This record gives sequence, structure tokens and C-alpha cells, in this order.
Amino acid sequence: MLLHYITGLGIVIAGGVHLFTVFLTGPYVENLAFNGGSYSVIAVYRNLLLAATLELLLVFVDYHALNGIRVILIEFHQGPKWERGVSWILAVTGILLFAYGTRTILIANAIA
Amino acid sequence: MTHSLIAELKRAVFGWFYPVRYNLERWAYALQRISGIAVTAYFLAHIVETGNVVGGLDVWSVPSADLARDVWAATFRFLDNPLFDMGLVVIGFMLVYHTINGIRLTLTEFGFLQGKPARPDFPYEPKSFTKAQRALFWLSVLFAAATAVYTLNVFFGA
Repeated sequence: MLLHYITGLGIVIAGGVHLFTVFLTGPYVENLAFNGGSYSVIAVYRNLLLAATLELLLVFVDYHALNGIRVILIEFHQGPKWERGVSWILAVTGILLFAYGTRTILIANAIA
Repeated sequence: MTHSLIAELKRAVFGWFYPVRYNLERWAYALQRISGIAVTAYFLAHIVETGNVVGGLDVWSVPSADLARDVWAATFRFLDNPLFDMGLVVIGFMLVYHTINGIRLTLTEFGFLQGKPARPDFPYEPKSFTKAQRALFWLSVLFAAATAVYTLNVFFGA
């Protein structure tokens, strides 16, 4: 559970940077446009530091969210079979989400 | 076996929504669970949504900027809907509540703001739920409500 608290604090920091770049660097409508300003969608993905922050945020939220669901489910019902099943299904889901999110960041970073 | 498992899960979920004789700490717990699930739902949707920056699941190589821009614009047209706007208002509330209450829980986990153990006397207020803890809980509700009002103003304000 220590990892749950560590990733939680990581989300506060990485998520703070993420929300800051979207809402506090200029009008958010401009920042949510595909390209244009220095914090538009594609500009953020091209900025290595910000893209790395997004990747970190993805890892933190992925773990924190799915571990949270796991905690809820094994609090609802106890038993070795249930716990193993829940843990495996959520681990696979987490890896798939991580793969898809990472794919987005890598491809978006490479768009010419 | 299967039937009893489903019955047990049902009872556990209804436990959150059946607030009989809840104290404040129990409310904080229920809200933390509900907001966690809400933010997880947003996270899943957000991963799918941002996947459309690169053209979504149809695209498996680096697309042209034009194609990516078109898919992104189409995504935004789809999301430009009062229903999704209302959803974001709720998510804003849930996210801020979960963050600040989560900081309270982290402090508790590592032994801060715990209060001293003492004999339980009427009206049996939990000694662990100190004034500082209550203040942090109400702060999280206050900031969450403020965020919801702000988001409402952004989407539906004049």
C-alpha cells in the first residue's frame, strides 16, 4: 500500500503540472486546440519534458486507479481465489492501458 | 456460490449508499470510494479520448498532422455536449475532493493528526477524527464545491 500513497503524491505533482499547462498558461480553448500556441496539444507532446511528465502521470494514475479498484473489490469479498482473480484481471487491464497511453504519447511526439 | 458472491457484492455497494447512523468519518470514506471510481472512469475515457490525438486505434504508424488534426477536431465536436460538460462539473468536484481528502488520509497513514487514545465516552465521537482532520475534510468539500461552481461557470456561465 506504500506505493498507493507514493503514486498518490506523484499524481498531485505530475497532475498539477498537467492541469497548469492546460488551464493556467493561457486561454484553455487555445491550449486544447490541436496546434497553434506553445501549449497546444501537439506542442505539449513535442516538448520532451512535458511529454515525460505525461508519461509519468500515466504510470502513476494507472497504478493508483487500478490498485484502488482492487482494494475496493477485495474489501467487498475475501478469499484467495477472488483476490488472485481480481489482481490478475486488473494487472492485465493496467498493462493494456499503459501500452495504449504510451503509444499515444510516442506517436504524438513523432507527428511532423 | 456465485449467487452468494453477487449478493455479498450487492450488500457491500448498498452499504455506501445507505447512510444510516454514519458519522463524518464514514461519510468521508464513502465519498473517497465513490470519487475514486468516478475519477477512474474519467481516466479510462481520457486515455481513449487522447488516443484520438494520433487518430485512435485505426492508426498504427505516425499519421500526417492533417489526419491527426481532423480526428482531434471530430473528437471535440463529439464531446461538445451539455451532458459531457455536466460530467466534467461532477468530475471536477470528485477530483478535488479525492485529492485533498487523500492528503488527509496520507497524513493519517503516517501517523499525523491522529489525536491521543482516550476512554470512549458519550457521545462516542471517534478520538482519531481530530479537529484538524475534520477541518481538512470540510476543506476538501469546500474546495470541491468551489471547483464545481467554477466549472459550471466556465461551461454554462454567460
